[in-house]
Amino acid sequence: MAVKFFGQFLVERGVVSSEALLNAINLQDKNNLKLGEMAVTMGLISQADIQRAHNAQMSKDMKLGDLLVELGFLTLVQLNDVITRQKNTHLYIGEALIQVGALTAEELQKHLDAFKADQAEYVSNGIELPIASVNNKIWEMTADLTYKMVTRVLDLKFRAGKCTLGSTIPPNFMLAAMDLSGDVEARYLISVSEGLQKSIAKAILSEESVDNEPIEVLEDTVMEFVNVVCGNVAAKASQMGVIMNINPPVSIHPSEHGLPVPDGHTGLCFPIHIEDGDTMEMMLLIKN
Amino acid sequence: MKKVLVVDDSLSVARQLEKIISESGDFTCVGHAKNGAEAIKMNHTEDPEIICMDMNMPGMDGLTALRTLSVMDKDVKVVMVTSLGGVGDKFTEALKLGAKNVISKPFEADNVLRILREL
Repeated sequence: MAVKFFGQFLVERGVVSSEALLNAINLQDKNNLKLGEMAVTMGLISQADIQRAHNAQMSKDMKLGDLLVELGFLTLVQLNDVITRQKNTHLYIGEALIQVGALTAEELQKHLDAFKADQAEYVSNGIELPIASVNNKIWEMTADLTYKMVTRVLDLKFRAGKCTLGSTIPPNFMLAAMDLSGDVEARYLISVSEGLQKSIAKAILSEESVDNEPIEVLEDTVMEFVNVVCGNVAAKASQMGVIMNINPPVSIHPSEHGLPVPDGHTGLCFPIHIEDGDTMEMMLLIKN
Repeated sequence: MKKVLVVDDSLSVARQLEKIISESGDFTCVGHAKNGAEAIKMNHTEDPEIICMDMNMPGMDGLTALRTLSVMDKDVKVVMVTSLGGVGDKFTEALKLGAKNVISKPFEADNVLRILREL
């Protein structure tokens, strides 16, 4: 029901033990050499060259491979050879599990098929953003996964509105927010009406009525929804090679004028029109 | 019945887990800690056999608490219950620190109980 990677899927289902998975990961770590290590193994550069390139990385925001070329330690052709060798010798987790005796080839294929079916609903669909950013794919995925979680976790029917740029976060009954850090820096927010807060609480608590629930529990359910979405966004981002850390969620009660988008940030608004006429809004405040 | 301690800063997740655990017939919930530091204290006072613990909590987070628990109490079995389960590095770190399994949020009751029964 969540975004997973294959090893986790197998352990969670009890197909392989956590010990077997750790053995397979250790085998991967030994086999899957980093770019610099691979270039050393191929006899193209020395450990001292890698160290010099790492030192240069302190002052230059460049990938190691590009720096090795710029410093004259590798030619572009040699860099491509190293990358090709890395790809050709990469040991995937399924293959590693076979090598440590945790799975047979037939079992691997069967579980890979089951994994693909389990994760099919989290394959991203196209979403258009009104900005041009190197991280657009991440923000599109964030919106897409939010829509999927509204369906899967909250069981709400909705229509996604067009994403727009905003300078103000519109007022609403409550907002739940989570700060994202790492390779990207942004604040993720969900804004809900009083009615939608109750709908979310019913879904999260699996209760038919939440009329007698204390306000802190109702607010907590919206924060937990944000936590679930952002955790799964971080998982998907890691599959895309982007490190994303999440912080504990917070609740915000905006004034009747809303909240201004902070200086140095771009505000993206994603309206989510719920079937009964209510609207929730997902917002991203992306640090420029 | 095996004693289970729930560790999560979210009241709603704690409610969900406590309900699943108490209705199972196999487990009893001995308490709810809201962060890692409380979990370590309650592990001492309540002596649970199983701890279901979140990773992302204010104050002491779940992985830090797991590191301490794995040294202080070799008998308690810790299962991480987290929205970060699908982040490969976090998942692997949890297993290396001694977690018995990692359950992703959103979770299903059947899956939680199956994993707890297999411990």
